[in-house]
Amino acid sequence: MTLRQLFDPSAIAVIGASATEGKIGYEAMANAAIFDGPVYPVNPSTTGELFGAEFVSSVTEIDDDVDLALCCVPGPAMPDVLEECGEAGIGAAVIYASGFAEAGGKGEELQDALVEIADEHGISLLGPNTSGFLVPGIDLRCSFASGVEEVPEGNVAVVAQSGGVGLVLAFQSRRQGRGVSAQVGLGNRANVGFAEAIEYFDSDERTDAIVLHVEGTDDGRRMLEACRESDTPVIAYKVGQSDVGEFAESHTGALTGDHELYTAGFAQYGVPTVDATDDLMDAAAALGNSPTPDGPNVGVVTAQAGPGIIITDRIQRAGGRLPELTADTQERVDEILPGITYADNPVDTGRPMPEFGEIVTAVAEDERVDIVLVYELFEEAIGFPVAELDGLAARVDKPVLFATEGIEEDLADQRDQLADAGVPFFETPERAADAAGALARYARLHADNGVADGGTTRVDVADSEVTADE
Amino acid sequence: MSDAVPEPIASARADGRDTLTEAEGKALLASVGIDTPSFEVCESVDDAVDAAETVGYPVVVKVSSPAVTHKSDWADGIGVAVGLDSEPEVREAAERIFEAADERDIDADVLVEQAMDLDRGTEVIVGGIRDPSFGPVVLTGLGGVFTEIFEDTSHRIAPIDRAEARSAIEELQSAPLLSGYRGSEPADIDALAEVISAVGDLVTEHPIAELDVNPVLASIDGVIALDALVVLER
Repeated sequence: MTLRQLFDPSAIAVIGASATEGKIGYEAMANAAIFDGPVYPVNPSTTGELFGAEFVSSVTEIDDDVDLALCCVPGPAMPDVLEECGEAGIGAAVIYASGFAEAGGKGEELQDALVEIADEHGISLLGPNTSGFLVPGIDLRCSFASGVEEVPEGNVAVVAQSGGVGLVLAFQSRRQGRGVSAQVGLGNRANVGFAEAIEYFDSDERTDAIVLHVEGTDDGRRMLEACRESDTPVIAYKVGQSDVGEFAESHTGALTGDHELYTAGFAQYGVPTVDATDDLMDAAAALGNSPTPDGPNVGVVTAQAGPGIIITDRIQRAGGRLPELTADTQERVDEILPGITYADNPVDTGRPMPEFGEIVTAVAEDERVDIVLVYELFEEAIGFPVAELDGLAARVDKPVLFATEGIEEDLADQRDQLADAGVPFFETPERAADAAGALARYARLHADNGVADGGTTRVDVADSEVTADE
Repeated sequence: MSDAVPEPIASARADGRDTLTEAEGKALLASVGIDTPSFEVCESVDDAVDAAETVGYPVVVKVSSPAVTHKSDWADGIGVAVGLDSEPEVREAAERIFEAADERDIDADVLVEQAMDLDRGTEVIVGGIRDPSFGPVVLTGLGGVFTEIFEDTSHRIAPIDRAEARSAIEELQSAPLLSGYRGSEPADIDALAEVISAVGDLVTEHPIAELDVNPVLASIDGVIALDALVVLER
């Protein structure tokens, strides 16, 4: 099954489109109408126009190659609707309605019936029980939620089990100035699940990192195998460390599995895990905009000691390591800034200064450093070392992360310049440190020796303590 | 799954059982190269005494019956007698087991096994399960309180190679106990990793719902499986 017709359709039909504001059939049509290609409102009991398109009575009446149907009809109407989609040669459908497998009993039977029809006609089903999906890069907004038209294009594909969490992540990405390449709420995963979505976005040119929000899936092994096959980095947020079983089951119709198994499985298959939605997007911003780190060693450059100490503490707990810089680098730093506050790792310049960028370059070129993290409070007279940071990551072939604080309006212009230069940007010392930690964990999980540690703690046991009979 | 059904699984199936006896379980482990103490399954008290001579004192005497899965809980705790140094001790332990089996109207043998010095090593638990979502999975943990109280276990999706098995051991918080603690001898971690990997292979290749090797005794001399519970898929 290819998901091309779902995520890159030629034309769209909105089945159950409605002229009544507030109805799902209206909101979905309003958002879909932004799409560059033809969008057909389908409703047998309505005539006239909606968002400039003429209502048609059935998808079989459309004289066009429609790839995708957005189904805004109640669950019990779905089997007939899907049959018609099959007859019309439609290859993908989004089912917004709930009351399927997540409700058990009859709902489960109804979902099974839909899967059977879909399989017969080769239709990819997103949902049911989902808010839909977005591909901002082609103005494809297949969601009934308000505000989705504002989510900007970025390079991270959000694959969320819950449509609601998918939206949380999409709106976060907007507020962070990052955007998404796609945002997908899988819902009940009738026949489009994690594995299918990961495969698709791994081959998607707009996507440089894939994030997963997972409540529980009955096909964990296939999901992990898709993660391992993916050349695009995958980061996961598995919810349910404490017992949310009953609620989660009613929510998405899945068995919420053993949290430990998920965490261990993700690590084993090369996927770092995080424990919060913003951590997920931060890790994706770091991994999706950086060369792959060769190891977990972080070189920190800070213009203020305090934030540097927070970062140093945090990185080590998050799975990173702060190596001593080489004598050459320390000498170089001392030559640039004689009498510097602290010339080893973290390098502390004491305050922002014109030579700050040179110091960053020196640390980035240190052979012991795999990942660079830069922190400075914004000082208007000096600004950020944009010229030095621009292209630095690519040249040294290491991630270079940047975090700052200051008056938003004052630093906005410089921040935009960093964004244009592709420098991952973070808003607090902790979030930058956690992102560096995620990079470090990714590097460990993908190290050639294949050593996979199980999570965010105890990372050094594998490195130092158990070496007795090696 | 492998086409060839190992003998212990075939014989349990032939009897219509889902649970292997300890002897069958250990034979299954032995078939993939996991060491077990030498043992004999005996149908009478006299056989048990002879077996004790053969395997050498001290010995352990255990009830052996498909009807008994939790041997040490069975019949007020007489199902497992450890540290038996002499013929009278073996005779008495075996008699009590046969009597208790008669009282409960079950078919039982006794298993006479070479006793291991538990102080010479660290007890480890290696388990295999078939998870509904992930399929074959292996679990590793240190025996006793570390697993029961601190839940210090690690999991891997099977099959896994030895390097991955090593990482499962090293990830345990209690791992330093295996690598030599306060002058104690380090356990053979490579051999333990082999056992974990082999348990993963067994669950992957055969219709096993659950495989518990508890305990595995890990010492500087190697790793030996002291008990085995194997439950087949129905």
